[in-house]
Amino acid sequence: MIKAFKKGLIGFGLIGVGICFFWLCGEVSAQSSHLFRTYKHEVPQKLQETPEAVAEGKKVYEKRCWYCHGIEGKGDGPASKTMFPKPRNFTRNEYKVRSTTLGSVPTDEDLFRIITSGIEGTAMPFWNTISETERWQVIFYVKTFNEQFMKDVTAKVVSVVSIASTPESVKRGQELFKETKCYECHGEDGRGNGPLTVALQTEWNMPYRARDLTKGWNFKGGNTIEDIYRTISTGFNETPMGSYLEKLSDEDRWHVAHFVKSLAKDMASDVVVKVKLCENDQLPTESSDENWSKATAVEVPLAGQIIATPRHWAPSIDAIMIKALYNKSEIAFLLEWDDSTNKQEEIFRDAVSLQFPTKIPESLKKPYFAMGDSGGTVNLWSWKAYWHEGFGAVVEAPENESGSVIEMNAKGFKSVTIQPSESQNVTGTGIYQNGRWKVVLKRTLKTEDAKGDMQFEIGKLIPVAFAVWDGSNSDVGGQKSVSSWYYVSLEKPVPKTVFAYVLIAIIMGASVEMWFIARLRRFPPKLEEE
Amino acid sequence: MANKRKTFLLIWVLTAVGCLFVFLKYASPKIFQVLMAKDHPMPMPSTLMMWYMIMGVLAGLVYATTSNQKFADFLSFLLPGSGSLIKSFLQKMLFVGFPVLVGWFVYTWAIPGAASPVELRIQHPTLPQDFEKLENPLRQKDEETQRKSIEEGKILFQTYCRPCHGSKADGNGPFANSFRLRPINFQDPGTIATVVDNYLFWRIKEGAPGLPSEATPWDSAMPSWKDDLKDDEIWMIIMGEYDTAGVMPRQREKLE
Ligand code: HEC
Ligand code: HEC
Ligand code: HEC
Repeated sequence: MIKAFKKGLIGFGLIGVGICFFWLCGEVSAQSSHLFRTYKHEVPQKLQETPEAVAEGKKVYEKRCWYCHGIEGKGDGPASKTMFPKPRNFTRNEYKVRSTTLGSVPTDEDLFRIITSGIEGTAMPFWNTISETERWQVIFYVKTFNEQFMKDVTAKVVSVVSIASTPESVKRGQELFKETKCYECHGEDGRGNGPLTVALQTEWNMPYRARDLTKGWNFKGGNTIEDIYRTISTGFNETPMGSYLEKLSDEDRWHVAHFVKSLAKDMASDVVVKVKLCENDQLPTESSDENWSKATAVEVPLAGQIIATPRHWAPSIDAIMIKALYNKSEIAFLLEWDDSTNKQEEIFRDAVSLQFPTKIPESLKKPYFAMGDSGGTVNLWSWKAYWHEGFGAVVEAPENESGSVIEMNAKGFKSVTIQPSESQNVTGTGIYQNGRWKVVLKRTLKTEDAKGDMQFEIGKLIPVAFAVWDGSNSDVGGQKSVSSWYYVSLEKPVPKTVFAYVLIAIIMGASVEMWFIARLRRFPPKLEEE
Repeated sequence: MANKRKTFLLIWVLTAVGCLFVFLKYASPKIFQVLMAKDHPMPMPSTLMMWYMIMGVLAGLVYATTSNQKFADFLSFLLPGSGSLIKSFLQKMLFVGFPVLVGWFVYTWAIPGAASPVELRIQHPTLPQDFEKLENPLRQKDEETQRKSIEEGKILFQTYCRPCHGSKADGNGPFANSFRLRPINFQDPGTIATVVDNYLFWRIKEGAPGLPSEATPWDSAMPSWKDDLKDDEIWMIIMGEYDTAGVMPRQREKLE
């Protein structure tokens, strides 16, 4: 008896395992891998600063740092050509991330932290890959480039004691953000679009961009509350980001820091943009429509287009957010991205484009992700901000001008064709508000032009890629920010039959269980004599 | 005590399997984060997780069936027992839990979840014939010239390849996050250390468009540099690239 049970149980076990197999297989998904750098705080015991250590540091420097920072530390290394911002010039006191007062040089520990962490979005790598000893040695060497390190022996360090955040503190911080004119550079919503930043960038052609405080992953000095407090207190040397040590009381600096922290968000990234069915028939035409709150947002990181000439080494747009909804006949996309300026010229205009293959791929094969190739055509929905005619005119696209949409096909970036007017069926509107473009693009699910247009199908994975242009950064044509292929998927509504299946499964599960136990009770397992 | 262990054998096995699941799902990402000194948790790939779970369940069953005595204990939990409160409570839980679990499996299976993309590819397809015979001319030169070429190649690498492949050739350039098929980490011993100079020459010259379809060229951001870099610059970059990454090309088999 017991043998039979044993066999039966193992059989059941195997079946169960088989079911698990199928169930888990469904879960395997292509992950988007994001390895944003973080500011690391831990500093080990410092090394003795001896002439030998400095000499060792010189070796490390001339192996690993010189081609960016220059052999004389002037920030003009031979590889710095394609770098924006430029590598630090160590002969000047331009140190950004410090715990010391504005104008002073950083402490050795500050240097250790920043060298270990690297700086997100810039060429500066993280150097936790070299030994701690080597890091201390190179720090001692870097310090020899600037005499101020010898003079400022007693650095004034700004002390940081954390204070918990409360809603009142955040609110007070928001008021102070206005009162102390942070918004003049960082913009009212913190997107780095303040009037001073815009003027610096477009009129004085200065390389400074106030940080977009909503992008938490881009904080050079770290995005914990202590880091933000420290940044506000010490400022960044030789940048418009000043120190507020004197201008604000200690408590007020905490309030502002809490407010900044409340703005800083992580990137909500995913590989598949899930398109929800909008039950009520109308799809939103405006970005302000409440229905958008039903859709899940996906954020996608963007890179400069450096795949083909003309290459774009210094893009200003590094992320885009996408939401999408569909109904019986139409699909609508909401695209939002932060742009600190709204300046349109004849050829340099803010723009965005969605790219689909012309057919839903049946196999793995897709057209090339950057504008297709001879083996695969793509369908582009391209929106451009409004520009008002006039020679050399630079204008701001006003809120009541929605911009223009054209539909194109491309087989590689050199063969782009505009679709004939009868196949132009994408409509769209764009609006610039507080440092953010919000563009809605809409089309019917199916069109007449089955050859040139993507025909959407429910439940399929449809490749999609994105591109954004920033006119004031002289983006045009191939000078743009791009993404690789992502997917949109029009979600099937949950069929009512699912619940019937579940019910049947429960009943079946229960009967098998009852049968098993009944059998077990009838023939209780007894030890057979051996 | 021993008696208790016997009567609750089934529960112990189930608990062990449950613990394994919790460990794999929640604890192991943290442990790997610490072990590999990463900034982010390293979730276990779900296929791997599945295999571990299968092994866990089988191990439980094997354990329970090692002796007939154990097996009898294992099953006896399901029999109406001596009426300890805990036991009858757990029994009831088990009786209710099993059908619910089955129902839940079916539910997650039957709801129309978004299909997830499959993106299988081969990183090192065969080298096209035109490139097979090529030799890196710089490797034949005297030591001084070689050293100069490495230095020059490193600078070219930093200028053109750094935004994607990273300044340390670790695949962590500032643009790397934007490409879902990540720029290759050349320090990884499974990448350029397994091929030879002319393989890299082909990849750098022809880029993604030169790849055959088993290597999914449509997802690769690797540019074709043939219009921008001269052949000798590419050979220099290759030497600089190996040097920056701190790895060596595969040794060629000696042709008899
Ligand atoms: C690939 C180029 C590159 C290499 C290699 C490099 N750096 Fe940098 N480094 C930069 C850039 C670019 C910046 C400026 C970033 C900014 O302004 O935000 C920078 C900034 C710095 C800063 C200033 C941080 C601050 O708070 O202002 C220090 C210190 C520094 N680097 C040290 C080093 C050391 C030490 C090495 C060698 C071990 C090194 N860097 C290697 C590109 C590089
Ligand atoms: C005159 C213009 C200006 C003003 C006023 C200003 N900032 Fe900034 N801020 C900048 C610039 C420019 C940067 C970017 C510096 C860089 O990356 O080189 C910056 C960066 C920052 C950062 C990011 C630091 C990091 O780790 O990357 C924070 C936080 C910040 N500012 C907060 C504030 C607060 C709070 C105020 C008001 C109390 C303020 N700023 C006022 C120009 C300004
Ligand atoms: C736009 C980003 C980008 C730039 C710039 C770039 N690469 Fe790549 N590279 C990639 C990606 C993505 C891959 C992985 C996909 C593939 O194999 O095609 C790759 C793969 C490679 C490979 C294949 C490695 C292997 O083991 O299969 C080599 C070699 C390579 N790159 C060299 C270079 C060199 C040299 C440069 C500079 C001249 C460069 N790359 C510039 C993105 C880039």
